[in-house]
Amino acid sequence: MIRKFIYIVCIFFLVWACRKSDQGGSAPVPYTLQLPDYFPATVYDMSQNPLTREGIALGRRLFYDPRLSRDSTVSCGFCHQQFAAFSHYDHPLSHGVGNNTGTRTVPGLFNLIYQKDFMWDGGVNNLEIQPLTPLTDPNEMGEDLQNVINKIQSNAQYRGMYKAAFGTTEVTTQRTFRALAQFMATMNSFESKYDSIMRKVQGVAFTTEEASGYATFQAKCASCHKEPLFTDGSFRSNGLPYNPALNDVGRMRITNSTGDYLKFKVPSLRNILRSQPYMHDGRFYDIFRVFEHYNKGVEAGANPDPLVKSGIPLSAKEQRELYFFFMTLTDMNFINNKEISEILIED
Amino acid sequence: MTQPVNRYCLIMLLLLIWGPGCQKDEETTRSTITVSIQHKVNQAPLALANTSYTNALGQPFTVTAFKYYLSNFTFTRADGSRVRINGQYYFVDEAVPESKKLTIANVPFGDYTGMSFTIGVDSIRNVSGAQTGALDPLSGMFWSWNSGYIMAKFEGTSKVSTAADTSLVFHVGGFKGEYNSLQTVALNTGSFKVPDNTHIALTADVATWFNTPNPISFITINKVHTPGIDGYKFSQNYSNMFTSVAVSE
Repeated sequence: MIRKFIYIVCIFFLVWACRKSDQGGSAPVPYTLQLPDYFPATVYDMSQNPLTREGIALGRRLFYDPRLSRDSTVSCGFCHQQFAAFSHYDHPLSHGVGNNTGTRTVPGLFNLIYQKDFMWDGGVNNLEIQPLTPLTDPNEMGEDLQNVINKIQSNAQYRGMYKAAFGTTEVTTQRTFRALAQFMATMNSFESKYDSIMRKVQGVAFTTEEASGYATFQAKCASCHKEPLFTDGSFRSNGLPYNPALNDVGRMRITNSTGDYLKFKVPSLRNILRSQPYMHDGRFYDIFRVFEHYNKGVEAGANPDPLVKSGIPLSAKEQRELYFFFMTLTDMNFINNKEISEILIED
Repeated sequence: MTQPVNRYCLIMLLLLIWGPGCQKDEETTRSTITVSIQHKVNQAPLALANTSYTNALGQPFTVTAFKYYLSNFTFTRADGSRVRINGQYYFVDEAVPESKKLTIANVPFGDYTGMSFTIGVDSIRNVSGAQTGALDPLSGMFWSWNSGYIMAKFEGTSKVSTAADTSLVFHVGGFKGEYNSLQTVALNTGSFKVPDNTHIALTADVATWFNTPNPISFITINKVHTPGIDGYKFSQNYSNMFTSVAVSE
């Protein structure tokens, strides 16, 4: 007991000796993520940006604040709707300020701390840097970064929240992006029926059709849509015909390598029935159109991945069973999670 | 079980004695060095906007913006060993006079014969999320669509440019693969002693961007804003832009 006491006292003095001298204000409250043990290790380095209640709250407000856009009409949450697993429901292509339209569909946002690359073409290499793209893209929020910082800095409510999260009222790019990253780090989806079954929750089991669908999924889809995240994070062409109107060459734009022609990031199938339309350009409104594409729509000239080159035969029965299995990937706790829902900003 | 606990206590007590030593105690053996940079074009002082210059092919050009990052300053001691100053990044912008005077902290006392540095931002800072200070994306030196710093930026005009507005826009970046644009520059400064001599004067000649080893014709290249072979050629050229002029007190 006495040894333990000495030990604790020593640690206390050590911390005291090396402490920073400025100690104004109360420290933010640490926040610990509860993550499933059957998920892989996280990619985002939270040790450099420790999650706190205040940081997450600030990130949430930033996420839902349309004033960050050029004309104060478009927030992050404008396109990333919670009920659609933070994709843009029913919108094939992303929308932005001034009725502008982008060239790709809005991806759902969840399990982002497990992602190595962001955007459909993987052009963004860190979760913290991701907000820079939609904020400044003229087809999305269309605002200059300095203006974003100035607008936030001029708001008293924000100044208080920056102080609470980071110690002073100063608004910087890094603080802003780190707060957004903290909020996005809490957007995790792992409470679907599928997850209950993986966790062996008593009384939860696939129906016969779901089980058949799961078997089809494992046989025909799982090498790219790898469990438990339902993506392997790789870039592949699934043989979708090139759309000259959009002129989107995919990952080739990032790597300058013709081998990456028409390659896009393999999207997760979690919450898939909540996030239509499908494909990087939202060309399919219905998941059965997607099944049909793999069944017999893969185009040889579109640099298709070896795994889909010859198509993936899917009978009508298999397609229906896959649909039932996909229903088990919808996470209503995530979609209804009040901690990440939209907030009304009035000041 | 008691043995390890005792050992931990001992270690903790030793650390406790060293604990207050966490404060810096090296101010007396390290000095700050200032590096001042003067921008030139073909030996003449650079003037932004209307002054016309010519490249090696005799094509005229003006300069409207000239900016770049420097990092990883390394000083070579008289005995050949090297002292690398980590974590200090500099954003140099011709339009901001004070940015052309770099303050390099924590250079150990000693005799030196040369120095080297990187033009650009090393790869680790390109992949480590939101940065601050000189590396804040507010500088406009960061590609949002293809994460990474623009290592160096030249903007200007040339009447032979085939761009609709006769502009020249050369944004050089890319930190991986065969066209990695990071360039290390080694300069022979002559012998100098820290702390007696702590001011190093350099010049950087903009014309080198277009001359060797890759002569640039503004008729064929007037725009670079992706990582790739063109940017890489510029980086090879501008790795020759610096000259050490003098080391003084």
